Amino acid sequence: MVEDWKSYEPLLIPDIPNLHKIDVYEDNGGYEAFRTVLGDQDKWSRKNVTEEVKAANIRGRGGAGFNCGLKWSFMPEPDDRPRYLACNGDESEPGTFKDRNIFEFNPHLFIEGALIAAYAMSIDTIYVYVRGEYIDWVNKFEEAVEEAYEKGYIGNNILDSDFSVDLHTTYGAGAYICGEETGMLESLEGKRGYPRVKPPFPAQKGLWGNPTTINNIETLANVPLVINNGAEWYQSIGVEGHTGPVLYGISGHVNKPGVYEYPAGMPVMDLINDVAGGIRGGKKLKALIPGGASTPILRADQLEGVSMDSNSLREAGSMMGTAGMVVMDEDTDMVDLLWRITHFFHHESCGQCTPCRDGTGWLEKVMVKIKNGNGEIKDLDLLLDMTTMMEGRTICALADAAAWPVRHTITRFRDEFEARCKKSVHAVA
Amino acid sequence: MPEVFIDNERYEFEGDHMALQFILDQGMEVPFFCYHPSMSIPANCRQCMVKAGQYIKDDETGEYELDENGERKIRWFPKMQTSCALKLQDGMVIQTQETSEEAERAQKDTLELLLINHPLDCPICDQAGECPLQIQTYKYGPEGSRFEVKKVHKPKRVELGPRVTLDAERCINCTRCVRFTEEISETNQLTIVSRGDKNYPMTAPNQEFDDPYSMNTVDICPVGALTSTDFRFKARVWEMNQTPSIDITNGKGCNIDLWTRDNQVLRITPRQNKAVNDYWMPDEGRSAYELFNENRASRPSIKLDGSNQSNTSWNNAIETFAETIEAHSGDDVLVIGSPHASVEENYALNKFFNLLGASNARFTPHIIDGYGDGFLITDDQAPNTNGCRLLNLNETDHKDLATAISKAKVCIILSDNLVGRKVVAASDLGNTYTISFATNMTETAKASDLVIPITCVAEHAASYVNIDGRIQRSFPAKETKYTNRRLNLEMSEGRLDRYGTNFDNWVSEEHKVDCLPLWDFLNKLAERLGLDYHVNHSRTILAEISSAIPSFENVTFEKMDEQQGIQLNLDNQKIKQK
Repeated sequence: MVEDWKSYEPLLIPDIPNLHKIDVYEDNGGYEAFRTVLGDQDKWSRKNVTEEVKAANIRGRGGAGFNCGLKWSFMPEPDDRPRYLACNGDESEPGTFKDRNIFEFNPHLFIEGALIAAYAMSIDTIYVYVRGEYIDWVNKFEEAVEEAYEKGYIGNNILDSDFSVDLHTTYGAGAYICGEETGMLESLEGKRGYPRVKPPFPAQKGLWGNPTTINNIETLANVPLVINNGAEWYQSIGVEGHTGPVLYGISGHVNKPGVYEYPAGMPVMDLINDVAGGIRGGKKLKALIPGGASTPILRADQLEGVSMDSNSLREAGSMMGTAGMVVMDEDTDMVDLLWRITHFFHHESCGQCTPCRDGTGWLEKVMVKIKNGNGEIKDLDLLLDMTTMMEGRTICALADAAAWPVRHTITRFRDEFEARCKKSVHAVA
Repeated sequence: MPEVFIDNERYEFEGDHMALQFILDQGMEVPFFCYHPSMSIPANCRQCMVKAGQYIKDDETGEYELDENGERKIRWFPKMQTSCALKLQDGMVIQTQETSEEAERAQKDTLELLLINHPLDCPICDQAGECPLQIQTYKYGPEGSRFEVKKVHKPKRVELGPRVTLDAERCINCTRCVRFTEEISETNQLTIVSRGDKNYPMTAPNQEFDDPYSMNTVDICPVGALTSTDFRFKARVWEMNQTPSIDITNGKGCNIDLWTRDNQVLRITPRQNKAVNDYWMPDEGRSAYELFNENRASRPSIKLDGSNQSNTSWNNAIETFAETIEAHSGDDVLVIGSPHASVEENYALNKFFNLLGASNARFTPHIIDGYGDGFLITDDQAPNTNGCRLLNLNETDHKDLATAISKAKVCIILSDNLVGRKVVAASDLGNTYTISFATNMTETAKASDLVIPITCVAEHAASYVNIDGRIQRSFPAKETKYTNRRLNLEMSEGRLDRYGTNFDNWVSEEHKVDCLPLWDFLNKLAERLGLDYHVNHSRTILAEISSAIPSFENVTFEKMDEQQGIQLNLDNQKIKQK
């Protein structure tokens, strides 16, 4: 658990006016990491960059928390095929809105990270896939990209080196599933966002069948920090096993919702009470969804001594996800909450795999029944059984994401659910 | 050799295999819907779940590691695996529903989920009886359903195109049809629209699904979502007989099944043959079933006064035929074979009239340049052009044939609609005494002086040589007035044939055509003429061809049946392939 967070100075989105302008960014040490790498390619060979990032253990910020550098090392040796970096800015999980701030306030940090990643993996084309609803941020980001092209950070023979790369921005049309990494690849190719069967993994067969690495926007924004300051320094931020700065997106019944940058491993209660200004209206905390709608909900009594890092949250019975925290006060109706979550996943299931396509719909319909007071106790057991029918049986993790909230919300707030159900007409032995 | 262990049995394998296909190849079963051996693997139905893992091998010794009980240690994969997309690896352990309760449970769960939004209207669904969803639900599905809320409603009775009707509620979204238009017919006419449990296959807005291969999607649809507009509600699968045959509408010779009920062919579906048509056939070939039922030549016809034909008796037809032959010398008789008729018919006809002194039979190919598509539709409109060539019939172009007809006094035409395909005009046949051996009352048959009705491909066993030189054969599917399903061992017997009575709706005499196989008629004619000619069966004719003509060496029905046709050597005969 991080104790001294009050003295923390933001690294990803520092409080510098107009940082999104390339001149301001450069004046504040921007593109230094990229220049360092390209300027001394002996010291910063492609392999060394990857090793450094791997040593820093940047846990992927898209939700899975996989070591970013390790992912890079899965790319095969360059051959005559094109190679792609696909940057995932489709964040559309309810409760998640962190990448938006990078696009708005510090786009060049991400661009620099993406360029270093492209260099490390000998990639010649970068795609940035942004959530369609973020059209204003797409436009902002494209301005930043244009500036970077003008300054010669993107393009051919960058900074007089032999490294050339192109960056294209594209955006989705409002489907959650296009944020799933292989669904995003399909969408990038102009197809329906149906997630792909793995293997083959994207590093072997990604975009148009070519080697592709997919990274989250925030993950790549961490890369220049690692190059500038070293893996050891990066490891000193946060807690063991989960290091580096994290953008916490806090929403719900707090006084000051918003995106806050602090080290990984922040005490949950400090984030709620101090950073986000406490529960609205002086009410009591009831529950927290720590990392986006799919992560298991935690009761207030489960939050004691829990910090926002993967180990601590796993012990508490949940996951870090995207660190999009949804805070709920004592007035929150858990049945309504769960219905709304099942509605979301029902609406967003792509419909490819049977358990998810039909399961998410069934979950929602039973939840509607319970919400309207027509449920029976047996429906709760049916819901729990359905989570088993869905979990781990589909191509992507959307079915898991739909099943977990159902399982954990019902088991952790069973009394509330039973209270909404009709009394059983059968004698209970 | 690499080994896998499936349901505790050891199997060796070589090369790349996916678990599902490998299991099926071993004669075992795992239920599946979306997988199709000729298309890509989407692994989306999640029905073929198996439990899989790997025996742990010691890296140094290469031996399997053992636990304290001396059993091999297994590292199970964390999730259930879809066997269709599970690549076999050395030392892999697979447990299907036979040995793993988890796999059984996963399959049962998937079926329960598949059925919650399925209308369960099997009693009025065409697919019932041949429906993978129905069959596998009975075998592997749950006893009942726990689904007590409202089903999703989707469009029904949508005419996707001229030949295919969609019931979107029945669709289980396996994407077989979409992948077919992407990967096989390459028209990309279908896609999945909408999302989640609301999705279903559809064409682009205002577009028709008029793919020339569209009806294959009906065959591969594992439920009753895509049905044949033509065949809808005509017959139950279990009321029909299924008889293997050959597509006679073009030169490819697609392997097909004829589906008959009460001696009417009700539909045609493709039969798998990797060497010819894989699992597919063009839509054109499917509508050919009407040729076997309608406008048939039944009972001989004769022109008595002017241009009016009337039916006559077989005796009178034989007598008239014989008298005509006797009144003319062999040189006056022009015999025209047909690429539309079988090898046996062409050979028998040619031989018969050679014995009577006529010169070698002619034939004219039926080819429309540019009609083919390089896949299963060919320029050649006839099933047996190469057969005629290999029999050394005299290949004649349209003009020469018309000239020869105008010079002949008697013209004998074997089931070829020369008038209809504009080789000659009907009036040209008026100057010569024309005798047609006809399956259907075509323009040519109608313009003939004497029509001898003969059996069509659906009524006899005979062989055809396709454009690639592959000889394949048909089986009798329909009874004629003179055949009996129970006595003919080559005919299939369905439930109704075995147990039906005249009181059943679908048992009658009315669809039996009054016709004879060509060789049977020639036997009768030979008897009347006192000619030393007799064959028992097409099988005897083929045996004779096989010994007389080197190209047909060793060709028998049995060998064709075993090998799904035999590749003949076209080079020997200097035949140009078209």
